[in-house]
Amino acid sequence: MIDSVPVSKVVQPESIEELSQVIAAEKGAIVPLGARTQTYFGNPLRRADCAIDLSRLRQITEYNPADLTVHVQAGVALGQLQHALLENNQFLPLDPWSGPEATVGGIAATNSQGPFRATGTIRDWIIGMKVVEVTGRISKAGGRVVKNVTGYDLQKLYTGSLGTLAIIGEVSLKLRAKFGRTATAVTRTNDADSADRLVALIRKSALQPVACEWIGPENEIWLRLGEHPRAVEWQLQNLPAVEWTILEGAGESAAWERLRSRYHALGPIILRVVGQPVTVHEIIKEYRPAAWIAHALNGIVIAQIASASDIQRIREKYRAVIERAPVEVRKEISTFGLNDAEYTLARKMKDSFDPEGRLNPGRHVDGERK
Amino acid sequence: MKKEIIDKLRRVLQTSAVVDDETELLVYECDGLPLFKNKPDVVVFPTTTAQVAQIVSIANEYGIPFLPRGAGTGLSGGALAAEGGILIELQRMNRILSIDVENRIAVVQPGVVNLHISQAAAPYGLYYAPDPSSQMSCSIGGNVAENSGGPHCLKYGMTTNHILAIEAVTSGGDIIRLGNPAGEMIGMDLIGAIVGSEGTFAIVTEITVRLLPKPQAVKTLLAAFHSVEECSQTVSDVIAAGIVPSALEFVDAKTIEAVEASVYKAGYPLDAVAALLIEVDGFREGLDETSQAIVDICRRNNAYEVRVAKDDDERARLWLGRKGAFGAMGRLAPDMITMDAVIPRTRLPEVLVAIDGMSERYGLAVANVFHAGDGNLHPLILFDSRHPDQVEKIFGMSEEIMKLCVDVGGSLSGEHGIGFEKKDFMDLVFSEADLDTMMRVKRVFNPHGRLNPAKIFPSRRGCTEVGKHGTTSTAEIGKRVEEVLLGAPSGRGRRTEGAPGEG
Repeated sequence: MIDSVPVSKVVQPESIEELSQVIAAEKGAIVPLGARTQTYFGNPLRRADCAIDLSRLRQITEYNPADLTVHVQAGVALGQLQHALLENNQFLPLDPWSGPEATVGGIAATNSQGPFRATGTIRDWIIGMKVVEVTGRISKAGGRVVKNVTGYDLQKLYTGSLGTLAIIGEVSLKLRAKFGRTATAVTRTNDADSADRLVALIRKSALQPVACEWIGPENEIWLRLGEHPRAVEWQLQNLPAVEWTILEGAGESAAWERLRSRYHALGPIILRVVGQPVTVHEIIKEYRPAAWIAHALNGIVIAQIASASDIQRIREKYRAVIERAPVEVRKEISTFGLNDAEYTLARKMKDSFDPEGRLNPGRHVDGERK
Repeated sequence: MKKEIIDKLRRVLQTSAVVDDETELLVYECDGLPLFKNKPDVVVFPTTTAQVAQIVSIANEYGIPFLPRGAGTGLSGGALAAEGGILIELQRMNRILSIDVENRIAVVQPGVVNLHISQAAAPYGLYYAPDPSSQMSCSIGGNVAENSGGPHCLKYGMTTNHILAIEAVTSGGDIIRLGNPAGEMIGMDLIGAIVGSEGTFAIVTEITVRLLPKPQAVKTLLAAFHSVEECSQTVSDVIAAGIVPSALEFVDAKTIEAVEASVYKAGYPLDAVAALLIEVDGFREGLDETSQAIVDICRRNNAYEVRVAKDDDERARLWLGRKGAFGAMGRLAPDMITMDAVIPRTRLPEVLVAIDGMSERYGLAVANVFHAGDGNLHPLILFDSRHPDQVEKIFGMSEEIMKLCVDVGGSLSGEHGIGFEKKDFMDLVFSEADLDTMMRVKRVFNPHGRLNPAKIFPSRRGCTEVGKHGTTSTAEIGKRVEEVLLGAPSGRGRRTEGAPGEG
């Protein structure tokens, strides 16, 4: 069952070609699945005649360390990929809440994100894609080199469109070298006002944290630093003058893992409120979420919301995406809250790729207007 | 063009903002790629988004093609009025609307010159990262259309990584707003599709860009080599060492010869077969170590001279040579064209050797000056347009270069776009299915195909005759670069070229 819709059958293709054959043969509603870490995300699914489990497409098809590129099948788990990259001291600088078991295809399709956003989200690291369209046709966009402006960037459209335009089969990514050192500084402030003042200090300072999280209701500030070891040291020496706990190594990883568990303990309604760096405090003050994790330097607040009516209220002033909510709520309120221009264009896009509405029906733009 | 249409345009715009005089139109018959020329029927100069929308509506009413143009510095014919029609010149929409220091964003009109954003943000310690070589004259609207790069995109990413929100006029004449100041993708990444669509999806009329804090410190190095292999190996080794340079530029002997004989004289060693211009930036702490690590890698690869710029003046001089290289080519030949292709950076040596071979076979000199760090080649083919056979040879040679780059796993363009120039090469990298899917997306944005027709897709898919003639003389280019590099009225030109990140 996905979104309380029974799944009639599940197939597990082992190659892109087989994926293409399965899709070409299927005449009903097709639901792509990765590691199933995000099946609660999106507008409610309407039908699921054929679920396609992509977990057997788990080949890292090509890894070129010297070119800083890797090409993977959609079912490769992020943890599996990071492990392979570690051998050359490289990584994909992303830490989505969906965790190491999440697949690259799934992370791309859901635009899954986490605290580490200093170098962008997955859209900024994807350089090419191979997809299977609803007819079974295989097509590609982008390329296999780190810099490329040949043809339309359709991989950007596929990213975040929840498999409703086409099913992602293969992803090409650029990579970066691991940081020489990382460290995390944690502090607890007295209240939201002090937390806000501290964040403002950080924002105006010479510090360049790769993640800056404001966690509530405790009003903790977590700063992650990643750079040349001496640059990290300099930043640690130049933190605003409050009591910091510095975490490194295993302790640091464990702390971020705990934050991820904490994210998953939020709910049942989690809203990603999109403001600006200076409005983070205002969002917290005005809507008083019971708990939150804010990407403070990005102006984004992941908020635990008490009731569905709060979503509407917040959307009067801010853009907000429902990250998680019971299906009853998502039936009433759209996941993305698209404005008319976005809706019209996205709807046309959906109709041109999938005129019969068979790819993940209802999930994305086709489920936006209730 | 019918007088009726001109009259209608004149009712929307001031009389002086509608140009249909045949002689004046000559200025707009090409962009920075003069190999292809075609005059628009009329050029309009709107100053507001509403005017752009009205112009588009008029074009649709009469079923005539239209296209946007910024500074006309594009190198792939993206702003070529391939089928005539209305050329919408956005240069007069050139205001920086706001700079929000706290949130590190700027809202600008499309006609704003790239470098002017960084200059306006400089007092606040901020800058706009993508820095195409033409940044002193190219417009941000053009950058958005082409998804422009530049030397520093190796570390900081291309235009697409820095655009947060846009206002645009659709091909149907509607005004839409997409994105948000946080740059957070909500729903479908329509901005991601529009950036780099080469003016075929929409006309962008307002842009919100991300600003970055200037790095605390910058180090610029020059390393000279006796062989291309050792030079290329250095590129690979720097990357393999986990160093993320902010720029990693390659110049060959021919380029050095031209630069050193010109006003852009940068002190590059004249006996070098190849040289690298390497820049690292970031925190002051640790930067000396990183720079020393690069020096060591260069030495290990037999660099016979490694020079670390001592101060900003020396840094600026090293960059002057790199940025002035295009203009300096006039020393070697009356004309040139700038090629653009990408290869996996590990394939540099073999590709350069092959290009050398082609140069001999075609009897056309080639200078190489390019972004080695991301494998983005820019072979400059030197020739003399007074010899028509040379012009013909260029088409043959450029096709060979494209095929070579695609064969080693590369791509047709790293930053200049496909435009009119390379559309017939698209088949080299994309299948019928790939192109068909792209066409499907184009139809969503541009259902009648009136917005910037005859671009990107191979011409067998329906195209027109465009004159394949004429070239820009290197003297002209040189003059333009010179004006900007050396004669910037603010007096900042010499210090800011090529390195907006300097702190």
